[in-house]
Amino acid sequence: MMPTTTAAIPSMPAAKRTWSRYRHPESTVRFAVIMAILAFLGYSVAYLNIDLSRILGAFPRLVEILATRYFPPDMNYVSDADFVRSVLRTLEMSLLGGFFGVVCSIPLAWLAARNITVSKRIAYPFGRFAIMSSRSIHETIWTILFVTVLGFGMLAGTLALTVFCVGFAGKLFSDELEAIDMGPVEAMRSVGANPLQVFQYAVLPQVRVAFTGIAIYTWDVAFRAATVVGFFGGGGMGWYLKRTTQQMESTRVAAILLVIIGLVLLAEVGSGWLRKRIGKMR
Amino acid sequence: MSVLEVCNLKVSYSAGGPQILKGIGFEVGSDDFCAVIGPSGAGKSTLIRCINRLVEPTEGDIILFGQSVCPLKSGELRRLRRRIGMIFQEFNLVNRMSVMDNVLSGRLGYTGAFRSFFKAFPKEDIDRALNLLERVGLQDHVDKRADALSGGQRQRVGIARALMQRPEILLLDEPTSALDPKISRDVMGLIRELAAEFKIPVLCNIHDVQLALETCNRIIGMQDGYKKFDGPAKGMRKQDLDEIYAMEVL
Repeated sequence: MMPTTTAAIPSMPAAKRTWSRYRHPESTVRFAVIMAILAFLGYSVAYLNIDLSRILGAFPRLVEILATRYFPPDMNYVSDADFVRSVLRTLEMSLLGGFFGVVCSIPLAWLAARNITVSKRIAYPFGRFAIMSSRSIHETIWTILFVTVLGFGMLAGTLALTVFCVGFAGKLFSDELEAIDMGPVEAMRSVGANPLQVFQYAVLPQVRVAFTGIAIYTWDVAFRAATVVGFFGGGGMGWYLKRTTQQMESTRVAAILLVIIGLVLLAEVGSGWLRKRIGKMR
Repeated sequence: MSVLEVCNLKVSYSAGGPQILKGIGFEVGSDDFCAVIGPSGAGKSTLIRCINRLVEPTEGDIILFGQSVCPLKSGELRRLRRRIGMIFQEFNLVNRMSVMDNVLSGRLGYTGAFRSFFKAFPKEDIDRALNLLERVGLQDHVDKRADALSGGQRQRVGIARALMQRPEILLLDEPTSALDPKISRDVMGLIRELAAEFKIPVLCNIHDVQLALETCNRIIGMQDGYKKFDGPAKGMRKQDLDEIYAMEVL
């Protein structure tokens, strides 16, 4: 006959240790932190005097303004040859900025990857600092800076986009480099290869596919940024956006915004498709 | 004549941290096929990696080809590393590169910046790579990607890569742990045959004791960072083995 569980239990020794998921200092601290964050959010809403009915009321107003002032979009304006040329300029800027940005960010990412950097004390902080400072300043501010130094035009815009891409791609590249398998790196070091050879033979083959995907994504983001760069004098279609908004030509603004939305969507779909194809090449 | 001399080697990975090697010393002669055995955590791998300074020794000295390894600067270290072939547990091949490129990369220490950038290796290197690939039985896999091969085949690529260097000593770091018993014996047999042919002394860290006794002529037994046994494989008794594996290191 099978032994019953009731018979088995009395023979088991009483548990000497207890176990609980909730332990005194950790769980109390966690609870206090969550409460503090919630309290801060509640206080902020009260302090800023956010009125829910005004927020809800904003949407009908937005629809009304769009319908009355921005409709119908002035599509003749955006089919003008000068405007089309400015769109091409924007595309060129994003390609150039993306290209130079990616080219500059690969060596910087190498320095800024903790596992394979040339020297932990000098090169690593330098690479990190270069990438972080490119990232920490918004691309529109870079544009303003370069416009004040170099004057209006595509050069300033391209440089601003380059710096933006260094920050954007450099961060993603160095993260990718820090995740590689160190085995081949060790093997190449042990045959007496120099750091450049180690990078080319042991590191690059592991990240080539990911880098290509990141480069395409970088261009996609750079293109989105390029439409705004012109707003601050960096050249391209952004300048038209600035002029029409300042002159309150709402139907033209609407047409330009539609063009931007269309192009960004196109860039995103295109880059997504390309990245998917490249991802399969592993 | 000894090729490698290790004197009172001590290693700890962090200052003030636990010592992995606690003062180990031995010599490897020019015709030795020397196995380092011992329980996991005894410091076998650390010992092997110290010799080409993949791990930095904390104290003591390593004299290789009559030259002290520890004080070398990066350029001198690279020149010394060219003369040391190393074979790894996980093969450490570049998976997305062809078998040929993996083997040729063994020559990188001797290849100039221009040639290595364009992967334009000299004709004699390519001929040697083809010969070695034939010797290890991979003549039909030259252009395959390294990750298309089986474990045993990959380790053969690793052997060919190490021999490309025309090494004067071979360091093997658990070359067979990732392989099944049959393939392990084949691979060790191949290494022994090639080492004898090219007259290369071998220092091999291995945890399969039976395989070590079959392949090697000398055994160094390690336990918890100390040397417990050093002698010819033939003279090894069961009680020596029991002593090496007596203490469990967690």
